[in-house]
Formats: sequence, structure tokens, C-alpha cells
Amino acid sequence: MLKRLVIAATIVGLVPLSLAGAAWAHGPSRQKVTETVEINAPVDKVWKVVGNFQDMSWLPVVAKTEGTGGNNVNATRTLTLKNGGKIEEQLDKYNPEDHMYAYEITKVDPKVFPVNDYSSHITVSADGDNKSTVTWWGGFYRGYMLNDPPPDLNDAVALKAVTDLYKSGLAALKQKVEAGG
Amino acid sequence: MRKSLSAHRMLKLGLGLAVLNGSALPALAHEALLTAQSADSLSFVDLDTMKESGRISVTGKPAGIALSPDKKTAYITAPDSQDLVEVDAISRTVKRRLHLGGGPLGIAAHPTRPEVYVADWYTHEIHIIDTTKLAVIGDIKVGDSPSGLAVTPNGKLLLSADRDSDAVSIVEVATRKVLASVPVGKRPFGITIDDRGTRAYTANVKSDDVSVIDIAARKVVGSVPTGRRPYAVALAQGRGFVTDQYGGTVTVFDQATLAPVKRIDTCDHAEGIEADAQEKNVYVSCWGEDVLLRIDAQKLLVTGKAAVADGPRAFGTFLR
Repeated sequence: MLKRLVIAATIVGLVPLSLAGAAWAHGPSRQKVTETVEINAPVDKVWKVVGNFQDMSWLPVVAKTEGTGGNNVNATRTLTLKNGGKIEEQLDKYNPEDHMYAYEITKVDPKVFPVNDYSSHITVSADGDNKSTVTWWGGFYRGYMLNDPPPDLNDAVALKAVTDLYKSGLAALKQKVEAGG
Repeated sequence: MRKSLSAHRMLKLGLGLAVLNGSALPALAHEALLTAQSADSLSFVDLDTMKESGRISVTGKPAGIALSPDKKTAYITAPDSQDLVEVDAISRTVKRRLHLGGGPLGIAAHPTRPEVYVADWYTHEIHIIDTTKLAVIGDIKVGDSPSGLAVTPNGKLLLSADRDSDAVSIVEVATRKVLASVPVGKRPFGITIDDRGTRAYTANVKSDDVSVIDIAARKVVGSVPTGRRPYAVALAQGRGFVTDQYGGTVTVFDQATLAPVKRIDTCDHAEGIEADAQEKNVYVSCWGEDVLLRIDAQKLLVTGKAAVADGPRAFGTFLR
């Protein structure tokens, strides 16, 4: 009897929740992520590693970078990931004097990276003579652009994928630059 | 999006208290209302001091915005909760919400009728909302994924940038009929009509250009190359100002010759853009950097910056 009451209460408790769920949190809206890392190295040294659009070897998940156009605006690159997935990207802005470039994803399977309309920029700024801060910023929609996304393509999944990529990428960058003496 | 014609003209003529079409002219508060999508807020910015003067909660990830002809009421689309939100701009309070469903984004207000129009991204129609009852009183089927909306200054035509049809629908307001679908560049998003109601300008996200439409002739008469991923267009002092969302710039062109004038470095994800009534300044909402920028429309320089709530989009008309 007690058990049945508990179940009944749970169901009653769930009803308003599911109704509320039907009324909100389904339409896509653009998300953004910013991650930073402090590196014990001068700006120029860090920029030498991250500032080449045609070389993403500092990012652990990337197996190969192939592209055309160098570091000119509208240059393209295809990243082949270690898991075999491919991401096509285009350079939108390249400001070496500010140690910043901006790029966008032009083609990706949401199964590889669960985002849409992704654009991003990477900036290295000086923190005194021997320290710098790298900021990696991204703006994007989730992988499923219609209402009521499947659980593997919702806002939370997109946010987590981008956040994890930036965090792991920046940690690896720090290690690589600082180890490089 | 459309600049407030009556206020413009009257200010230019120095007729501060004149009456047009039976409706009194708005008293300009000289402030901007920014839909801060990430923060679920509406930021108010005092344009004289370029400082945020207030912030209220507007849930549902607000994006699109239109102001009533008297500029006292803001109508805001909330794509996440799929609502239309009515905000009293004077008392800065949410008055009513109307659940629309689907994918509401673009919005425009009629200059004289008590109506706002909301474009539905998914159902490919425009909802007609009676603002006295705040109720949907009709739907107009247009092209695929309508986004930006604008009404001609005389109130006769409603234009819809149908993003996934690469076209602009011209709708007769009185009959609710689509009179024409005008092919434009690829993926038109924002749309702005000039003061005289002769030309419309669409920002084409995928072809990186602006299409210029002769509204009476129902055809494109020119195009202007922009920076990467243009979002919306503002008009001031015979020039067009285009936010380049990915390029982080504002492209300026000459309205008469359509020749490029300048590309101004602005901010990350420059989005909503509108000229003030005097056409002295153009204001740009920066989604990426959470600021409102002021551009001097004559000197073509960024002259002011105000920090606002997270993720301001201000897609539509947002100055009062």
C-alpha cells in the first residue's frame, strides 16, 4: 500500500514537469563557449604554434591537417580526426599583429561534432614578457536544428562537446609550448 | 526592420509635435532595447551616456524585437519557449506572453494597425497578431523559413525574407495575399525597407552580399558584396550599413551607386543594427562580445561601446 502511494505520488509529481517540458526548452538558440589557458611562454612563441591555420597538430584529436590558401582570409582546411571523422573549415579573419584568427566550420557530420553554424576564434594575448593567455571562443547551434532534439543532439551535448574540445586542446597546447623550452 | 518614418521626417522638418496618420509622434527616449538571448534578459541602454540603464528577465531565449508605432511597447520573440512576449518599455515590465509554438524569430510591427507579424521558421508562415487582444488572428503562407520581416512606411506591404527559398515574399497587408516572390541572393536573413518605401535590402547569409529590391517592380536591381555572413542592414545618410556576423565587420555602401564605401572593424558576431531617428549614429548589437557599439554614420568610426547582458541579438527594430 505504501509502495503504491509512493509510485502514485511520483507519477503525479512528474506530470507538471513533463507538461512544462513540452512548453519550453525545445527551440534551438545559439550557444557560446569561452575557455582560456595561461601559458608560461611569450606571446610570439605561443603564436608560432597556434598561428598557422594550416597546422592543427597541437590539437590532440587531430591526425592530419590538409588545406589551401595558407593564412589568407577564405583559406580552407580539412581536419582528419584520429577517429576518422572529418571537419572542413574556412578562415574568416587573420590578424597576426593581434595574434588572433577567426574561422568557421563549413562542413561536419553532427555525429563527428554535434554542432551547426559553428564559428570560432583563437587569440593569444600577453601577460607580461614571459606569460600569455590563450582564449578559444566558439559560437554555434546544437546538432539538431528542429524543435525537440534527440538526446544526443541537444544543446547540452553541443555545449559539452565544444567545452571538452577547448579544455583538452588548450591543456595540450600549454604542455607542448612549455615543454618546447 | 524599418526605421520610424514619421519620426524621421518630422524631426528633419523640425515639427516636433506634428501628427501623422492620426497618431501622435513618439517621444524619443533615446535608448536601445537589446534581446540578450544567452542571459534570458532584455537590456536597456541609455544612448546619451552609452551605459546600460536597466535589465529585466525575459525568459525563452529572446531574439527578435519590434517596437509599437508609439515606441512604448516592445514585442519580442522567444524561440526557445516559442512565445511572443509583450514588454512595456516605459515601466520595463513584461505585460503578456502569447504561446505560438513552432519557430518564432523575425518580427515587425505595422505603422498604423494594431498588428505585429511573426515569422515562423518551421511552419513557413507569418502569424498575424492583434496587439489589443494579443492573439493570432490569421496566418500567411510564405516561402521556406521566413526570417526577417519589414513593413513599408505606408503600411500597405509586408516583406518577408524567406531564407531557405532564397526569395522575398511581398504580401499585401489588407488582403493578406502574397503578391510576389522575388528571387534574391542565397539565404536572405535580415530585411530593411528605405524611408520612401521604394527599395528593400536583404542580407544574404550564404552569398555574402546584399540584394537590392525595387519593391514596385518586384525585382532585384542590384547587389552589394559584404563581409562574411551578413546578418542585417541599416540605412542612414544615403548609405547602407551591414553587420557581417562572421567577418566581425560592418560593410558600408552607397545607396545610390551601390558602391562599397568602407568596411569598419566592429566586433564578434555583429548582429542587430539600426540607425537612430536623426541618422546621426548607427547602433550594432554584438552577440559575441556582449556589447552595443555606436558608429558615427558620417565619420564611419566606432565612437562608443556599452556592456550589456550575455548574447545580445536585437534582430529587428530596437531603438526608441
